[in-house]
Amino acid sequence: MASETGKSIRPGRAYIPWDDLPVQRETVAGVATVLPVVVLYLLIAVLPIAFAFWASLHNIHTLNPEWQWAGFSNYREVMNISTFWGSLWRGIVYMVGSTLLQLAVGLWMALVLNRITRGQKLLTAVVFTAYLIPTIIVSLVAMRVFDPAGGVFQMIGTEWFSLWGAQEAPLGSRGWAMQLLILIGTWKFAVFVTIFTLAQLRAIPDRFYEAAKICGANRWQMFRDITLPRLMGIVTVVVLLRSVFMFNKFDIIWQLTEGGPGNATTTLPILAYKTVYTEQAYGLANAISVVMFLFLLASAIIYFKLFNPSEEVETTT
Amino acid sequence: MSQNEPPGGIFGLSYDDETRAFEALKLVSTAIIVLVGVWPIYWLAQLAFTEYETVEDVVTVFPTPDIFTVDNFTVLTQPEMYTYMFNTVVVAIGTIVTVVLVSLIAGYGLARLDFPQKENFARVLLIGYLFSPIVIGIPLYQIWQNIGLLGTRFGLIIALSAISMPFAVWLMWKYIMTIPEAHEEAAWVDGASRWRGFRDVVVPQCRPAIIAAALFAFALAWNDFTFAQILLPQTDTTTFAPGILRAMGQAQFLPDAYLMAISLAMTLPPLLFAYFMQSYLLKGFQVRAL
Repeated sequence: MASETGKSIRPGRAYIPWDDLPVQRETVAGVATVLPVVVLYLLIAVLPIAFAFWASLHNIHTLNPEWQWAGFSNYREVMNISTFWGSLWRGIVYMVGSTLLQLAVGLWMALVLNRITRGQKLLTAVVFTAYLIPTIIVSLVAMRVFDPAGGVFQMIGTEWFSLWGAQEAPLGSRGWAMQLLILIGTWKFAVFVTIFTLAQLRAIPDRFYEAAKICGANRWQMFRDITLPRLMGIVTVVVLLRSVFMFNKFDIIWQLTEGGPGNATTTLPILAYKTVYTEQAYGLANAISVVMFLFLLASAIIYFKLFNPSEEVETTT
Repeated sequence: MSQNEPPGGIFGLSYDDETRAFEALKLVSTAIIVLVGVWPIYWLAQLAFTEYETVEDVVTVFPTPDIFTVDNFTVLTQPEMYTYMFNTVVVAIGTIVTVVLVSLIAGYGLARLDFPQKENFARVLLIGYLFSPIVIGIPLYQIWQNIGLLGTRFGLIIALSAISMPFAVWLMWKYIMTIPEAHEEAAWVDGASRWRGFRDVVVPQCRPAIIAAALFAFALAWNDFTFAQILLPQTDTTTFAPGILRAMGQAQFLPDAYLMAISLAMTLPPLLFAYFMQSYLLKGFQVRAL
């Protein structure tokens, strides 16, 4: 929309020394506008990652930072500690389970919300509330309802379905902790899938469905041949993003179980956190961070292969 | 759906039957969504108004008059809880202000100014979605300690702002591109400088995008647990989420009903935003600043 004619009437300005520079003033101004973002990124992403890599080559005590060169021994240690592979496996279980469930629930909610005629405002508010409500509050409510002392879900599970014993805390049981973490997370995070797919669904013109109806297509055929192909792109991106987010999920797991009972819900982020604060091995924790970062990097590369920003610009009008 | 069509719908149903089945399915789905979506909030609210001894013992569904109480809300006046909430509010406001200012300027630059590698810059910006608080937080802990930002709200605000940047900048960029440049040109003809044109022409028209970006920054800051847990280690200066979790482990007397009461207070702002500002939220997503 930026018209070329605009250039001729760009505002004039008093002489500034950089007018003599070999770059155009517009370039300087343009770079200056994005400079704060670049600084933020350098400070919050590039610097910490570089620091983490450097720190991972040292043995460091968390509270008494005395850097002791260790070479790559931290990485050897990471690969050898038994909790690392266990955590990686549990992290993958948690990631795959959460992502699949969130995708199913989120897509279903989006399809329903898209077709709803009445009460849309209220429903949308409900959906957005789950997105805006702090994780800690979700955790507090979950801990309350699964508490053996007066928790409603604990009681229902005991008396109606006999899933667990009367005095047993489901979040503290090896059999249930992981499943419940996935379920509770889904309540909050499925909305992410809903929001993105709903935006895509709303962008499908009605005339496609009308044309299909005239040709005698039934609802399943319409869904398979019109809706689904349109959704595939965004679903791929959402699945990738959700997988990465769930793999890196720290807050809800820490709040609900702190990785317990035992190590039953310890995923890599929990392991890294515990290594810093329980074992006071800051260098080792940074080695775990770097390993996790490599996973992120691989995801980022896939992300860019799947998702083309310049394409996105054209569809925004 | 029109009447009297030949059978040919899904599962060999006629189109009318198919429509009826579909409508029924939709109704049931809606009911489930509302029920599952509203239930935890209802439960939170009803427990907040129930006497705390009752909450610990038995399952109650509704705070009937004999167990109804508002005493649970006295927890809000405890100095430490007050500090936690105050810190959360300060961090949220700080993040909103930083995000809106930085993203407005960067969005304007991306939309209106031409500079090399612009597209690539926007592309790299999206990596921000993959910043994981735990991966970044652990090294940041020592970095902030070395430069004295550990335990300060400012350090947390910077970290949170960086995380919300990709969404906000893309939103502003796309939104400013929908504003015709002719509006600014008119101002330039009248002798306005570029800055003046930005301030008086572009910014006022960006109001919906500003509100959407502010809401998302708010959601992020209000939600944050991991960064605050790592970067605000002192129990007495931290924000709500880590603060309440530590208080649960340490406090002598902190019944669940009190926790529900303070949670309700912390849920109200997002609840009100979700209801009254949803058109802005939707607008934010319709621009599809993924």
